[in-house]
Parts: sequence; C-alpha cells; structure tokens
Amino acid sequence: MRLAGFYAFAATVALLPALFPDNYFVVVVGASAGLNVILAVGLNLLMGYAGQISLGHAAFFGLGAYASAILTTRFGWPSLLALAAGLIAAGLLAWAFARPILRLRGHYLAMATLGFGVIVHVIMVQATGWTGGPDGLAGVPPLDLFGWEVSGDLQWYGVIMAAALLAVWLSLNLVDSPVGRALRAVHGSEFAAQMMGVDTARAKTQAFVVSALFAAFAGSLFAHQQAFVSPDSFDLTVSVELVTMVVLGGLASTFGAACGAIALTLLQQALVVFEDYEMLIHGALLMAVMIFLPQGLFVGLTQAARRLGSALVRSRPSVAA
Amino acid sequence: MTALPPPAPPLALLAVTGLEQSFGGVMALAGVSFRVAEGLIYAVIGPNGAGKTTLFNALCGFYRPSAGSIRFADRELLGLPPHRIAACGIGRTFQNLQLFFNMSVVENVMVGCHLRARASLLAAALRLPGVRRQERHLRAWSMEALELCELADRAAQPAGALPYGLMKRVEIARALAAKPRLLLLDEPAAGLNDTETLALRELIARIRASGVTVLLVEHHMPLVMGVSDRLLVLDYGSVLAEGTPADIQADPRVVAAYLGGAVSYAV
Repeated sequence: MRLAGFYAFAATVALLPALFPDNYFVVVVGASAGLNVILAVGLNLLMGYAGQISLGHAAFFGLGAYASAILTTRFGWPSLLALAAGLIAAGLLAWAFARPILRLRGHYLAMATLGFGVIVHVIMVQATGWTGGPDGLAGVPPLDLFGWEVSGDLQWYGVIMAAALLAVWLSLNLVDSPVGRALRAVHGSEFAAQMMGVDTARAKTQAFVVSALFAAFAGSLFAHQQAFVSPDSFDLTVSVELVTMVVLGGLASTFGAACGAIALTLLQQALVVFEDYEMLIHGALLMAVMIFLPQGLFVGLTQAARRLGSALVRSRPSVAA
Repeated sequence: MTALPPPAPPLALLAVTGLEQSFGGVMALAGVSFRVAEGLIYAVIGPNGAGKTTLFNALCGFYRPSAGSIRFADRELLGLPPHRIAACGIGRTFQNLQLFFNMSVVENVMVGCHLRARASLLAAALRLPGVRRQERHLRAWSMEALELCELADRAAQPAGALPYGLMKRVEIARALAAKPRLLLLDEPAAGLNDTETLALRELIARIRASGVTVLLVEHHMPLVMGVSDRLLVLDYGSVLAEGTPADIQADPRVVAAYLGGAVSYAV
C-alpha cells in the first residue's frame, strides 16, 4: 500500500515502449525525462523535505558526468568503476561543503550554492587539460554493465528508467524512516527538532550529500548515454531548471518531484515548435502554475481530481435514501 | 567500627547554581539557583519578563549562560548543544507552538522517538528488515504517548488541522515519546479554556505518576497552586522565593511583587 504509487509508476514506465513501439518520442524524450526524475527526486530530498535550497545542483550532475567521461576516456577505467568514483567524489565534495554552507539560511544559502555552481562550471570551462574546455569531451565509451554494453535508444530507456525507479524507491523509503522524519522536522521547526534530539547540522548534511549522490549518478548515466559531455549541460540554467522541476511538481512529495521533472521535459519538447516564442510561453506557463496551483502540479491536480470526484458523487441523486 | 556518617540528602535530579544570562547588558538571569528533586511537579512563576522562558532556554542549551552550573542526573549540561541535552533525558514543549506542521500527528510524535531510533542512512534508504521492524515499534511507542494524552483518534490527521488546545497536547505527547526523566512545560495552559485546563491538570498528574519529573512555567495560578509540589518565584531574573504553594501564598514579598494583594488560591 505504501508503495502503490511506485508500482503504478513502474508499470507505466514499462508499458510505454510496448504500447508505442519504435517511437522516438517515448524512448528518447522518456530517457531524458528519466534522468531529470533522478535529479529532481534527489534535489527534492534537500529542498522539499529538509527545506534547504540549492541553486548549484547542476555542479554535482556535472561532477558525475565528467568523472565518468574523464576516467573512461583518459584513463581507460571500466565504466562502473568510474561511476562509483564519481559518486564518491560528489559525496565527499558535498560533505565538505555542507557544514559551512548549510549554516546559512534563506537568501544567503541560495547565494552560496549559486556561487558553488558557478565555480564548478568555471572549472569545467577553464581546466581544458582535463575537461576539454568549452568544446567538451567526446568519445565517452558505452556503459558496460558486467559485460553488457548498453546501446540503442530502447536499451538506454530501460537502464535510465530502472535507475529512476531506484531513485524513487530510495526516496520513498528515506522519507518514511527516522532519517527522513528528522529532515522533515528540521524543515518544520529546527528549534523543536533539536529538542527531540535531532542533530540538525548532521541531518542537513545528510540531505545535501544524498541529493548530490543522486545528481552525480544521473550525471554518470548522462555522460555514457550522450557519449559526450560539455560545460553547457551543467550551467546555471540547468540548476534553475532543476529547482523549477521540484517546485513545479510540488515540494515535499517524491512523486511531485518526479511529475515536475517529466512535465518540464515534455514542455520543453512540446514548445520547440514555437521557436522564438518558446521561452515566453515556458515562463508564462510556469507563472500560471505557481499562481493557480501553488502546491505544485502533482498535489494540486490530485486535490482537484478528488474535489471533482466528491462533487460528482454529491450531484448524483442518492439511491439509498 | 566507626559510626556511619549521617545519610546524604536525596540527590536532586536537577541542580541549578548561580545561573547568569545577559542580553546586551540586561541581566535576564542574575544568579538563579534551585534544586528539583526527582518525582516532583515543580513550577516556576513570576511576572512577564522575569526570566522564566530564558531559564528554560538556558536549561535546554539554546542560550549559553555566562556563568553558573546546570547539573542534571549528575551531569553538567552547561555548554552542551540542545540535541545532546535532549539525549540526557530532558524533553520540553514550547510557549509558541513548535509543531512540525508538515507532518501528521503520529509522525510528529515519532520524531519525538528519534532518540530511541537507530537507523543508518543506508539502512533507511534500502528499508532493511531491521528498519521495518523498528518503524513498527516507533509507531507503537508513539501511539502509547498519544493515548496518554488522549489523542489516539487524531493520529493520522495533519498536525496543522487540529484545534489549538489539541496542538498543545501533541507537543506534550511528542516530548513524552522520548521517555524523558524531566519534562519542561512552557505555559501549557496559555490559550486553553477552563475544560481544557482541567484536563491538562489531570494530564500533568498522570505524567508525574508515570515517573516523569515535571518543571512547569505557567501563569494560570489555580492550575499552578493546585498541581505543583514546590514553586520557584522569579522577579527581574532573580529568585524571589522558593517553597510549597502554601509557603509562597503566605510570603509577603511574593504577594507584594506578583500576586498583588492578599488573594488565596485555595483549590
């Protein structure tokens, strides 16, 4: 029962390519949405549950991607080992930055994480010897899963969606555990959380590290899927998009974050036909959602559906009476 | 055989000595000393601004007093952060509600069980069998605390959906879920009607009966005089008087400074 939503999500993801075989939109856009789901679900643990903002999350996404790209192309590491190294690097970096950064609140935390994202992006552009600079790194080998080389759009769809489901499952588990409740308590009242014995500095650090790990994991998959990485994929715009996904879907809801990620990915695809007006419509839609569904798409629409349902039940003449 | 030394007086659960706390030159606590024996309901009263809440915040580690000592169960608490003080066995409620409004009633109380929970990040993320088993225990413990506070039927509701009086009860249940030895109640009757205040009085007595020592800050005099074993009267950050409710009501200094005239609070 606790995982009912998870099973529904898994079934949808598995059925889509079967219902629409050889459909470019499903497998390619779907894979891209899947990566965004991992990123948004991870960021939601920090933003939605622990109540801490990060405007530099693309940095961890990029760190995972560059770790995989550099270690596999320049040092010939096996892809899984490179992925693990990327996770460790992102986790350590997040851990080291968490204590000083998470002392800050509100606008100051936003500024600090923004600065962090900008610094990492500058390093990606400037450290040409390692990263290839603005031109990026090409020729990232395919992901090798114990001898199975992932290739083709459909296989990538499968791998990324499996990873996205794993991210959703981990997030659902965490939220409904002492660790997750401690995070939510920090958001609810830091004062009271401390008095319940919650080490709030530690709880925030954990949230920051976990969300960084999710992002680095997505980054690593992204590097192999695209076979190419460049700094453009990890700049400030991407960080802002990630925040938008979480807020759009609905803060403090794992499925909300997942829905936000999928909705924003689809929206960007759909708006391509409007060419010059794309950003205009994009911005207007986001503003409309925030004004009319302040709790986000997922929570807002489920509540609207429930209200509609009960209205229909009421309007029907009662048979029992 | 030499004669045995006279038996030592029973050790106080909480012994505060010479506690000083100043805010930019204003002495909010000017050398406060008192002792609370285990098993008592001990009230701290005084006019607004006397330093009652400051005393609570100093006891809980939210302030860093500039001098003095806070010994609790033979441990010095001064200088410890709040979450470590909580781990020593002190729970509290708040004058201004500090509920987790983003959670249900039972989840609020389950956070109260945090000190009794053991789960690593990895075990929790993978929801290992041990974590699952512990979740059941935490839920059962929380339901016990809710039952003591007569809130069991509200467990699944969002904490923010309750009426004010019940929210204050959730705070008490949440603090009790940690199984503290000392419970600090900061104005639990503020904003309650007469019926709710009567129920609160019974609840405080039940809490003491369950073996928890209670330190109470309260303005509602009938409640304080009716339920407390001993009282501490603060005025301008100093101890004005200390004693049983009868002593305090008879003390001319207290009557002059605080109670305002010869009023009896026989209950």
